[in-house]
Amino acid sequence: QGTNVAFGTIRQDTSQPVEVTADNLSVDQASGTAVFVGNVLIGQGEMRLSAARVKVVYKAQNEGIASLEATGGVTLVSGQDAAEAERADYNIDSGTIVMTGSVLMTQGASALTAERMSVDLKDGTAKMSGRVKTILNTGNN
Amino acid sequence: QDTPPPPAALVADSVEVTRDRVLIATGNVEIFQGDTRLRAQGVTYDARNGSLVLTGPILLQDGPDIVVVADQAELSKDLQDGLLIGARVVMNEQLQLAAVEMNRVGGRYTQLYKTAVTSCHVCDSGKAPLWQIRAKRVVHDQQEQQLYFDRAQFRIRNVPVFYLPRLRLPDPTLERASGFLIPSLRTTSQLGTGIIVPYFIKLGDHRDLTLSPYWSARTDTLNFRYRQAFKTGRISFEGAYTRDDLRPGEDRGYLFGEGRFDLERGYVLSFALETTSDDAYLIDYGITDADRLTSELALTRARRDKYIRAAVINFRTLREGEVNKTLPTNVIEATYEQRFFPNQLGGEFRIAANAHGHFRQSGDPNDTNGDGIADGRDVLRLNLEADWHRQWTFRNGLQADFGIGFAADLFHVKQDAFFTDPDSDIVPRTSLTLRYPMVRQGPNGRQLLEPVLQIGATGGSNLNIPNEESTRVEFDEGNLLSLSRFPRPDRRERSATAAIGINWSHFGNEGWDSHLTFGQVIRRRANTDFSDTSGLAGTHSDFLLAGQLKSEGGFSVTGRALFNEKFDVSKAELRGDWAGQRSSFGTSYVWLTADAAEDRPTAVSELTFDGTYKLSNVWTANANWRYDLVDDRAASAGLGIQYVNECVTVDFSVKRRYTSSTSVEPSTNLGFTISLRGFSASNGTERYANSCETKTR
Amino acid sequence: CGFTPVYGPDGVGTQLQNRVLVDEPLTRNGYLITRQLETRLGRTNDAAFALSVTVKTQEVSLAIDADGVIERYNLIGTADYTLINKSTGAIAASGQVESFTGYSATGTPVAALAAERDASERLMVILGDKLVAELQTQASL
Repeated sequence: QGTNVAFGTIRQDTSQPVEVTADNLSVDQASGTAVFVGNVLIGQGEMRLSAARVKVVYKAQNEGIASLEATGGVTLVSGQDAAEAERADYNIDSGTIVMTGSVLMTQGASALTAERMSVDLKDGTAKMSGRVKTILNTGNN
Repeated sequence: QDTPPPPAALVADSVEVTRDRVLIATGNVEIFQGDTRLRAQGVTYDARNGSLVLTGPILLQDGPDIVVVADQAELSKDLQDGLLIGARVVMNEQLQLAAVEMNRVGGRYTQLYKTAVTSCHVCDSGKAPLWQIRAKRVVHDQQEQQLYFDRAQFRIRNVPVFYLPRLRLPDPTLERASGFLIPSLRTTSQLGTGIIVPYFIKLGDHRDLTLSPYWSARTDTLNFRYRQAFKTGRISFEGAYTRDDLRPGEDRGYLFGEGRFDLERGYVLSFALETTSDDAYLIDYGITDADRLTSELALTRARRDKYIRAAVINFRTLREGEVNKTLPTNVIEATYEQRFFPNQLGGEFRIAANAHGHFRQSGDPNDTNGDGIADGRDVLRLNLEADWHRQWTFRNGLQADFGIGFAADLFHVKQDAFFTDPDSDIVPRTSLTLRYPMVRQGPNGRQLLEPVLQIGATGGSNLNIPNEESTRVEFDEGNLLSLSRFPRPDRRERSATAAIGINWSHFGNEGWDSHLTFGQVIRRRANTDFSDTSGLAGTHSDFLLAGQLKSEGGFSVTGRALFNEKFDVSKAELRGDWAGQRSSFGTSYVWLTADAAEDRPTAVSELTFDGTYKLSNVWTANANWRYDLVDDRAASAGLGIQYVNECVTVDFSVKRRYTSSTSVEPSTNLGFTISLRGFSASNGTERYANSCETKTR
Repeated sequence: CGFTPVYGPDGVGTQLQNRVLVDEPLTRNGYLITRQLETRLGRTNDAAFALSVTVKTQEVSLAIDADGVIERYNLIGTADYTLINKSTGAIAASGQVESFTGYSATGTPVAALAAERDASERLMVILGDKLVAELQTQASL
C-alpha cells in the first residue's frame, strides 16, 4: 500500500487535536453537540476544512469529538490535493471523510468530479462514485 | 505532432485513487479523446507513465468508421498507441478483422496478428463465414486507407482456395485509389472464354484512367476509359485496341467520347464522338447494338422564351448494303426560336429561323447506284416561320385559339442532275382550334371529356425539291392539331384541313386512371407525299386511337393504333410495364404493315419482354427476349441470375443474339463476375440479408 | 349528363387560366413542354400558382430485322409535376404523366434525325396535354 499519502502529503494522524474557529458558536449540552456558524475553519495537522456551518458531535463523557458534519458548501485541503462538495461528514475514529453533492477533487493538474467521495485518511485513498468524470491530462504533472 | 493531443476525458461509475497516484475506474468506464471513444469495464490509469490498462469487454470507436472490440488492452493515454488482446475490428459496419493480438502505432497504423478478415456476418452458430481471408499479419494504414496482408489465404466456408504471399486491398472508407478492380469472365461463341482484368489509375482528384486488358484464346484487347472533370464541365473517352482471329492481321478497335461544358449565360457546349474500325467490331465485342454512329459538336441554350442550337453532325452507317459515300452523313444546322408577348395585341408571337445543310461525300450528280437519289446530292435550306396566336375563353367554357402566320423557305439542291436550280416560297397559314373540356364527378372517380376541332388552311404549292428529310411521317396525339405533320419544311400540308379529336379521361378513386384519345384529319385535297402507313394518306386520314391504363400500384400500359374504316390496322404500338415488390416486367409490341415508300418490304411485328424477379432476399433472376412474329424467330434473348448478400455479389448472365449479316454472325455471350463486398466504398448503403439467415433457418 | 365545363364560371380551368407560371426550363425538352403548357394554361407574370415540371426521356430500339438493322425507335417520356399555391404554399396537385412516341429509322440519316426531333416535339406536346388534363380534373384549389 505504499507509504506516502495519495490524498494529502503525509499520513494523516487522526488523533491530532482538531482546531475549530468560527464567527459564532452555540452549544447544546443535552445532545452533546456544538454548532459553529459563519466562516467555520477546522484544522487538523496538515488538513484544513472550511464550511458555512459545522455541527460537532462529541463523544460521551467529553472524551473528544466523535464526528463533524460540515454543510453549506465545504472545501477540504490537504497538501496539494483539494476537494469541494456541498456537505462533508468527518468521522474521527474511522478517519474517513464522506463528501457528497457535486464533489470536485483536484490533484495537482488533474481534476475529478463525482456525486460522492469517501476519503480514507489512514491509508490515504479516495474513492469516488456516481458518474465520476475526470480529465487525464496528458501533460506530465 | 506539434500540438499536444487534446486531453482524454474519463467517465465511470466509480473511481478510486490509490496512494501511489494510480486511478482505478470501474463500472461503465468511458474515455473520450478527439473523435475516439472507448468503453470498458475497468480502467487503471497510472499518471506517472501515462498508460491505461483496460479490462473487461472493451469497445474502441475510432472515428465514425472503425470499431474495435477487445478482451483487454493497454493503451497510451491519448488512446493512439497500445496493444489489444483478442481484438475484433469492424470497419464501415461491413468489414470485420478478428486478431489474436492487435497493436496500434502512432494513431495511424494498426497491426493485427493471426487475423481473419471477412465482410460476411459471422454467424453465432459458430459456422465459418461464407468467405474469409486469413493472414499471419494485417497492417491497416488509416491515413492511406489501405490494408496490407502478409501470407494471406483466401477461404470459402473454411476451405482454403488460394494463397497470396502479399495482398493489398483498399479499406471500405476509400473512395478513389489506383488498383485492380474486380476481374470478370466473358465467354462468347466467336471469341471463346476470356478474362477482363480492369486496373484503375487515379490521376489526381479530377482525372482517372481505367485500363482493362481482355485476353481470350482468339483476341488480345486493351479497353481503356479516360475521364476528366473540369470546373464547369467534364469529358470522358472510352475505347479499345484489338488484334483478334476474327480479322487476323487487322488493327481493330473503337473510340467513343462525350463531353459537356457549361458556358456563361446558360450556353452549353457539348460533343459526342463515335467511331470504330469496322462495321462488325461493336457487335463482336458487345459494346452496342447501334447500327449507325453519330458524332456531334453542338452549342445550345434553352430558356423559357428562347431556344438556340448550332451543331455539326457526322453520321456513319454500319448497316449492310448502305454506303457512307452516298448517304447524307455530314450535317450542319442552326436553329433560333423565340416567343414574344405583345401586351396591347395580346396572345403570343412566335418566330423560328432554321438553317440546315447536309452533304454526301460523293460528287456524282446522277443516280449511279440506282437507289432513286442522285449519288452526290447536297441540300442547303433556309426557313423562317412567324406566327401569332391568341386564345379566348368564353363564359360557357369554350376555348378558341386563333392563329395566323407565314413560313418562308429557300431550298438549294446541288450536285443533282434532276434538281438543278433553287426554289423558294412564302406560305401563308391560319388555324382556328376549338376546345370544350368538361368534367364530371362520378361515383367511382372524376371524368374529363374534351372534344377538339381544328380547321386550318395553308397556302402555296409544292416546291420542285426532293423529299430528303420528311420521308418518315408519324400521326399521333402529338401532331393531331399541327398545321403540317411533315417533320421538315421540305414537304408541307397544303389547302384546307380539318382535324377532329375527342379526349376522355377517368381518374378512379382506387388509383386506376384510364385515358382515351380518338382523332382524324380530313383534308380537301389528298397529299401524295404521305406514305400509306403514315395514316395520313388520302382525303380522310386513318382513325387514330390512343389509350392508357395506369394504376398507382406501378402498372401502366400505353397503346396507339392507326386503322381505316375497314379496321385493318396500318400501324400499332403498345408498351406496358409493371413494378411490384419482388418483380418488375416491361413489354412492348410494334406492328407496321409493309410499305415500299418507307423501305419496309415486309411487315414488322415484334414483341419484346424484359423482367426481373427477386427469387429470395439474396437471389434475383432477370430475363429479356425479343421475338419477331413475322419471321417467327427470336432476335435476341438474355437470362441473368444474381446472388447478392452482405459480403459477396455473384453475377451470371447469358445473352444470345440471332441477327446475322455478312460481317456479323449470331453469337452467344456469357458473363460471370464475383466481387467481394466491403473492400471499396462503392458498395452503396443498401442492407442485404446476411448469409447466416439463409443458412440457419 | 352531369358534365360541367372546365372553363365555366366556377370551373377549375377558370381558376388556373393565366395564373400559372411554369419554372424556367433549361433543356430543349423543358422549353418544348413549357411552350405547350403556356399555350394551354396561358402566360402570366404575377402567377398565383407555380408549376415545377421534371421531364425524363429514354430511347429504346425496336423492330430489329434479321441483319441487325434497327427499323424503329420508341421515345419514352415521363413528366413529374408539382403545382404549388404560392399564397398558401400548399400543393394543389402533383403526380406523373407518361407516354411514348415512335419513329422509323429506315430512311437516310437526315430523315431519321428529322423523325427523331419530330418525335421528341410530339412527345412534349402529349405530356403537356396529359399534364393539363390532370390539373383540370385533379387539382384541389
